[in-house]
Amino acid sequence: MFTLIKREIEDHIGYFIGAGFLSGILIIVSIFAISAQEASVAVVFVGFYIPVIIMLMIGLPGMGVSQMYTDRTRRISVFLCGLSVTRGQILTVRIITGILAILTFLVPLTITAMVLLRIFMPAGRIYSLYSSVASGFIFDIFITAFLMSFACYCLGLQTGWTSSRITPTLGGVALAFVLVPLIIVKGFGLHIVVILVLFIAASLVRTWHRFMSTSL
Amino acid sequence: MQLKNSIGLQRKGGRMNENVIRVENLVKYFDGRCVLDSINLKVPQGCIYGLLGRNAAGKTTIIRILLGHEPPTRGQTLLLGAESTNLSAKIHSQIGYVAEGHNLIQNYKVGRLVKLCKALSPQWNDEFFKHLTETFRLPMDRKVRELSIGMRAKLNLSLAMAIEPELLILDDPTLGLDTVARRQFLELAIDVIQKQGRTILFSSHILGDVERIADRIGIITAGKLVVDCGLEELKERVKKFRLIFPESVPANLHLTEIINQQIEGREMVITVVNWNQQKQALVDVFKPSSCTEIPMSLEDIFIECTKPNPESIACS
Repeated sequence: MFTLIKREIEDHIGYFIGAGFLSGILIIVSIFAISAQEASVAVVFVGFYIPVIIMLMIGLPGMGVSQMYTDRTRRISVFLCGLSVTRGQILTVRIITGILAILTFLVPLTITAMVLLRIFMPAGRIYSLYSSVASGFIFDIFITAFLMSFACYCLGLQTGWTSSRITPTLGGVALAFVLVPLIIVKGFGLHIVVILVLFIAASLVRTWHRFMSTSL
Repeated sequence: MQLKNSIGLQRKGGRMNENVIRVENLVKYFDGRCVLDSINLKVPQGCIYGLLGRNAAGKTTIIRILLGHEPPTRGQTLLLGAESTNLSAKIHSQIGYVAEGHNLIQNYKVGRLVKLCKALSPQWNDEFFKHLTETFRLPMDRKVRELSIGMRAKLNLSLAMAIEPELLILDDPTLGLDTVARRQFLELAIDVIQKQGRTILFSSHILGDVERIADRIGIITAGKLVVDCGLEELKERVKKFRLIFPESVPANLHLTEIINQQIEGREMVITVVNWNQQKQALVDVFKPSSCTEIPMSLEDIFIECTKPNPESIACS
C-alpha cells in the first residue's frame, strides 16, 4: 500500500507542490494583511483568496481527472493488476493521495490561522471565550473547506474515468463551479457538512462502482 | 520439435490434475455483437495451453476476462480457484501477465518500473531478473517509451517471469521480437515450466512458436472454441488426403466431418476429422487410383479450422 501511495504522489507531485505553494502564499499574505491596516484585509481577500479558491476549483477536479484519465489512456491499472495489487487497492490509494494533497494545502493554513488568532486576540479575561469561539469557527471553516475540496476532487475522479478528452476536462470543473457557491448560499455549519458528506458519498460510490466493474 | 521434446522429458513428473484455469459457458457481447459464444475451457496445472485464432477472434478478450480486466456478459471464469471478477492481491501475485502491446508505464524509466514491480511482488526473484536483463541487455536508465517494441516486449517478459508466477499468461508475447529474441523467450518459458506445477496460457500468431512449446491447443473461430485438445491428438485427428480417381471425381463420397475439399480434374484434396477405417472403406468403394496422406503442420490445421464451418471439427 505504501509503495502505491508513494507512486501516486510521485506521479502527481505537481499538485502537491502547487498545493504547498498556494498555501505558502496565502500564509505570507495573511500574516502581512493581519499585521497591516484593516482595509488591506478586504483587498487581500479579494486579490488573493478568491483567485486561490478558483485555482482550487480547477486544480482539485484536475488532479482527480489526471489520475483517472491517465490510468484509462495509459492502462496503468492493467499493469498494476499484473502485480500483487487489486483494483480496490488502486482506487483506495488514489483517494488517499487526493486527501493528502488537500491536507497539504489546508493544514498549514489552519495552523497559521490558529497561531495568528492566539497572537492577535485581545488578552485578558475574555481571551478564553474569544479563543474557543474562534477555534470553533476555524474548525468549521477547516471541515467545510476540506469537504468542499474533497468533493471537487471526487468530481474529478468520477468524470476522469473516460477516454474522451472533453468530458473530464470540462465536466469536473463545471460541476465544481456549481458546488462551491453552496458555501455562499448555506454558510459554514452542520447543514453544509451534511450536504457535502452526502455528495461525496454518492460520488465515491459511483466512482467505485464504475472503476470496479468496467473494463480496464 | 527439439524444444518441445525437452519440455516433455522435464515434465513427466509434473502434476496435471488440478485445473488452474476454468471457463464455464462464457459469453461476451460488445455493443450487441457476440464476441465469445459459450466458451468452455479447462487448463490443468502444469499445462502449456496454446490459444489460437485469427485477428479479432476473441483470444485477448478471453484473457482479459480471465484476469478480471473485462466483465463477462454471462458465464464464469476461475483462475487458480478464484473467480476472475474477485481476484485477491495474493492471487494476482501468482500470475505473470504479458499483455498484447505490452502495457508498461510509458513515462517511467526502466529502473523505476523495475523498482516498483520489485516492491509490489512478494516473490520477486532478483537473481533471475538480473540474468534476464543481462540476456536481453535491458537499459535501466532509459524511459520505457524510448524503447523499441522488441525491447519493450523483452522488458515485459522479464518482469512477468521475475515474479515467479504459478500461472503465466502471455498474450502474443513474441510480437515485435526478432528470431533470436523469440528463441530466447521460448527457452525462458521452458525455464519457468521446468519448475514443477507451473502453467502457461499462451496466445500467439506465430504458430511455429506455439507448436514448439504447447501441449494443448485451443482454436477460436467466430467467438467459438472449435478445437480444444492435445497437440498430438489434434494432429492425429485432422488428416488431409490427396485422392486421384481413374475417371472423374465422384459427386458425393458420403464422408462425414469433412472440413475442406478441393476438386481439380480427377484430383480431390480433402481434409477430414476423425479419419478411421470406416471412412477409408467408404473412399475405397470409389476405387481411387491413389490415396496419399499430405502431412499437416499446426499452421495447416489452423488454416483449415478457421474456415467457415467450424462446428464440424470440435474436439473433445
